[in-house]
Amino acid sequence: MSTILHAIFGYLFLLLIVRVLSRRPGGQLTLFEFVIVFLIGGVVILSTVGKDRSVTNCATAILTVGLMHWLVSSIKGKYPRLGAIVDGTPLTLLKNGEWQLEVMRGMRIDREDVMAAARTKGVTSIYDVAYAILERNGAISIIKNEK
Amino acid sequence: MATKPFSGPVEDSVAKVNDEVAVGEDLDFQRKWWRFENAAWIIFTLIIVLDLAGLFGRGPIAKAERHSADGAFDVKYERIERTDSPSILTVQFAQAAIQNGKIHLYVSNSLVKQLGTQRVIPAPQDTVVGEGGLTYTFLASRPPASVDLALQPSGPGIYDFTIGVVGSQPVEARVVVVP
Repeated sequence: MSTILHAIFGYLFLLLIVRVLSRRPGGQLTLFEFVIVFLIGGVVILSTVGKDRSVTNCATAILTVGLMHWLVSSIKGKYPRLGAIVDGTPLTLLKNGEWQLEVMRGMRIDREDVMAAARTKGVTSIYDVAYAILERNGAISIIKNEK
Repeated sequence: MATKPFSGPVEDSVAKVNDEVAVGEDLDFQRKWWRFENAAWIIFTLIIVLDLAGLFGRGPIAKAERHSADGAFDVKYERIERTDSPSILTVQFAQAAIQNGKIHLYVSNSLVKQLGTQRVIPAPQDTVVGEGGLTYTFLASRPPASVDLALQPSGPGIYDFTIGVVGSQPVEARVVVVP
């Protein structure tokens, strides 16, 4: 019983912390952020399973987290507002040749991050970028200028 | 016959930037989220400060001390404990607590069960069960003399305990065990 409650609390707490921390999962993870994710995950595991390290207890915890994930995903699909809360919304970082400084400051994203994303698309100059969009998964999409 | 899969018409429902790129940006929502984030960081900082102060145990606020009315003994304990975390409750005895070279220390059941007494240091010479608790007997010479009880609460809650020396006024105290 306590494992299930701890797993639910751990899932929601981790979701909140990761959501509040920043939006840079997946391919955008830096080494610094890897440290955060693994450290938080390790600490949550400790309180979730407690002293009971049996297969039954660990399986229960995993099933609970899986169920929570399925539940949140299902509700997200039904209520777009929850999707925005959990995943955020795409944000424009650069448009019409202007940096969107409010967004960049709010999302703690540097111009170098945008340029790094541009380079992966073969763009060598920032002037060739028409739009830079921060996606919900943390990736930065680059749309080139049509000359 | 195979069931036909669900399908629907494609709609251009995603909000566009400059009427050109379908992004689905919602800057009003994002501004609200940033305000929420700022509030969350303030709350997180507050939680850490309160934790350092001991509001959730293991800090200056958590430490407590009680004295028996006749000065026979003092009890040092943590008024805020954490579930499954060890702590020490120390009883220091004055000369008045020592009778015929012995100290008879009474502890209520709540100290043994809910607050999880794991060990008594030093081991008592004798233990008597009754009166809603245990009475330990220790051989003693002269003060300073003390006994430690290693506690480890098994679950969260608010627990009252009584501790006393036979022939002296007992001390009652409350411990909050946080999850």
